[in-house]
Amino acid sequence: MATEPGIVFDGVWKKFQRGERHDSLRDLIPAALRRFGRRAATLDELDAGDFWVVKDVSFQVRPGECLGIIGGNGAGKSTTLKLLTGILRPTRGAIEVTGRVGSLIEVSAGFHPDLSGRENVFLQGAIMGMSHATIRRRFDEIVAFAGVGEFIDMAVKRYSSGMNARLGFAIAAHLDPDVLIIDEVLAVGDLGFQQRAFGRLMELTRSGMPVVIVSHQLDRVLQMCTSSLLLRTGEVVCVGDPRDVIARYFEGSTTSAEGEALTSDASYVITEASIGAPGVGSGEFIDIRVTCRRVADRPLRGDESVGIVLVSLAGATNVAAFGTRSVSIELPESGTFTLEARIQANVAPGPYSVETWVWATHESLFRGPRLSLDVTPTVTFDGSVQLNPTMSLHRVPEDVSTRVHGFVDDLTQKAS
Amino acid sequence: MTVAGDVAPRLELPVRRSSVVRESGALPAAAEELTQMVRELRRSHELLYQLTRRDITIRYKQAVMGFGWALFMPLMIVFSGLVVQLALANFSGRALAPTGLAGMAVKAVPWSFFVGAIGFATNSLVANMSLVTKVAFPRAVLPLSAVGAQCFDTAVALLALAIVLPLLGVVPASVALLWVPLLLVLLVGFTTACALFLSCANLFYRDVKYIVQILLTFGIFFTPVFFEPSMLGARGAPIAMLNPLSPLLEGLRLAATHGHNLLEPLSTTLASGAVVMVWSPWYLLYSVLVTLIGLPAAALLFYRSQYAFAEYV
Repeated sequence: MATEPGIVFDGVWKKFQRGERHDSLRDLIPAALRRFGRRAATLDELDAGDFWVVKDVSFQVRPGECLGIIGGNGAGKSTTLKLLTGILRPTRGAIEVTGRVGSLIEVSAGFHPDLSGRENVFLQGAIMGMSHATIRRRFDEIVAFAGVGEFIDMAVKRYSSGMNARLGFAIAAHLDPDVLIIDEVLAVGDLGFQQRAFGRLMELTRSGMPVVIVSHQLDRVLQMCTSSLLLRTGEVVCVGDPRDVIARYFEGSTTSAEGEALTSDASYVITEASIGAPGVGSGEFIDIRVTCRRVADRPLRGDESVGIVLVSLAGATNVAAFGTRSVSIELPESGTFTLEARIQANVAPGPYSVETWVWATHESLFRGPRLSLDVTPTVTFDGSVQLNPTMSLHRVPEDVSTRVHGFVDDLTQKAS
Repeated sequence: MTVAGDVAPRLELPVRRSSVVRESGALPAAAEELTQMVRELRRSHELLYQLTRRDITIRYKQAVMGFGWALFMPLMIVFSGLVVQLALANFSGRALAPTGLAGMAVKAVPWSFFVGAIGFATNSLVANMSLVTKVAFPRAVLPLSAVGAQCFDTAVALLALAIVLPLLGVVPASVALLWVPLLLVLLVGFTTACALFLSCANLFYRDVKYIVQILLTFGIFFTPVFFEPSMLGARGAPIAMLNPLSPLLEGLRLAATHGHNLLEPLSTTLASGAVVMVWSPWYLLYSVLVTLIGLPAAALLFYRSQYAFAEYV
């Protein structure tokens, strides 16, 4: 029976020790005496100092699927990958991996500085599980991909760090696994190589094998993954469409939906914010409404501005910002008021966050509610910047075109 | 070159299941784990070869002495043993026999194999920590390749020994030489057991390598290299043979320089008139048993703890 390659994580838990760790015999002997007679924790309990790095994580990756695992530092991403590759065993739960796993993790970890590039290709290839015959067969491809050319017989210790990383990536990129695992190796080498590497990964991802990626480069996750999983302190926050998951990640890592005063004397607070629609086509208009209140007993600086910032979640960058001062609106000195803004979503399709702020010239005073905005592709727009271009078409007069054609006809006749 | 049907689902894909280990019978479980370990290692034989080659290449690549490296340690042992024996000979007023020197040369080679292999293997997991924590492969290849690289050195030294022995007046040409391969296999087996155990222990307890260093330095006084166990008297000799290396080293010496059949006991009469057992077939059995029990035990310990390696960086 033909089996399909794939990954199944079923309620996986992993416990780590934080406290008492004896890494010398000198420490061990007294500690063992102290622990003597005390009951050891069972699998389900935590001893003092233990903690769960991965808590009840379940997911499945089937052929043609690419799962992007995202989350902050210490969320359990790397541990999940180590469980997946079999380096660690789960404390509870079951993992089933069908097929040979190829991992693009620490792609040049096996390199020995004193060996030549050639010797290291064979060594690292073997470490990653390639057979000698496969490496020999694909050797030229690997060297060409890495672009190390004539330096292949030089000791790796004389390589630049870029060459080192490129060679490592090239070896890993020529594995022929059934299941692919990628950990943060997308930013290797110079710009040209990064594009080549990304192209190769896309090729591998689209070849139909199950893929798991861990990355902080959210735009890459958006481009490559069919689904995404957000981890926070070992727990799955959400799984699903990468756009939604990335939006959740931002919510968690920036602010809550509620407003928050950043200085004790914030003179204006934002009480409410709303957006005309949760999604908009690229290049179309969207309305944003912000309700503010002047806090009466706080002194007024005179340079306050209520503003809106558009943040691209994929690129993690502020795309645009504007405020009342930049559009010359005087804020009232008392009472509650509503600001209505209309912006044209002249931005690349993707998930965005609309942030509301009160700021002074050099300081942020109040962080208002955040709204999410999904910009969808439209026929009028593709790319990363909308230029609002105009174009005109001019017809070439009939007689000019016939004259050219006649000239070409003459030439062909002469040739024959 | 791509083979048609590369992307099509392959038949019989390997499946790896990791879950909580369930307790079944202790012995069948151990046997199952050991077969699994051997299967994994056999699948990684190319990696083992590459790592062994790496260790050998690096040792010889920038060495001034080249193949002299392989002979350096045994030669040092023979020379220091010579000094010790000269001192003993002077003290007791007996002449130094050339067969004593030959016997010492025969024992210096396996002893330096043991010291070299254990020295490299003990640190092999910790030295490759970035691999151990990040890349999945059977971890046993690291200590095994350290032993493998030392095998290469020892092969060179054995070749040199075969040339030198006739010069010392010993022509090792008897049927007893057939014991040599068996003893060497036992030596490699016992060394591998120690290598697996110590590399693993050193990963969990970093002071193990200092203890090992001291043991290897002074071990030569507790292992019959400079001396013969019979020199320790009727009571001392069997005690010296308790060191699992002693029967192997003595067996090699007796087989190579005396052409002694190891299935037969051998005793000698000391100057005092006491009769001392030099060799007994039980010594051989003891060595075989230590290796046959030690190697699977160490392998099992290693195999079971390897999932904790990445947690104990």
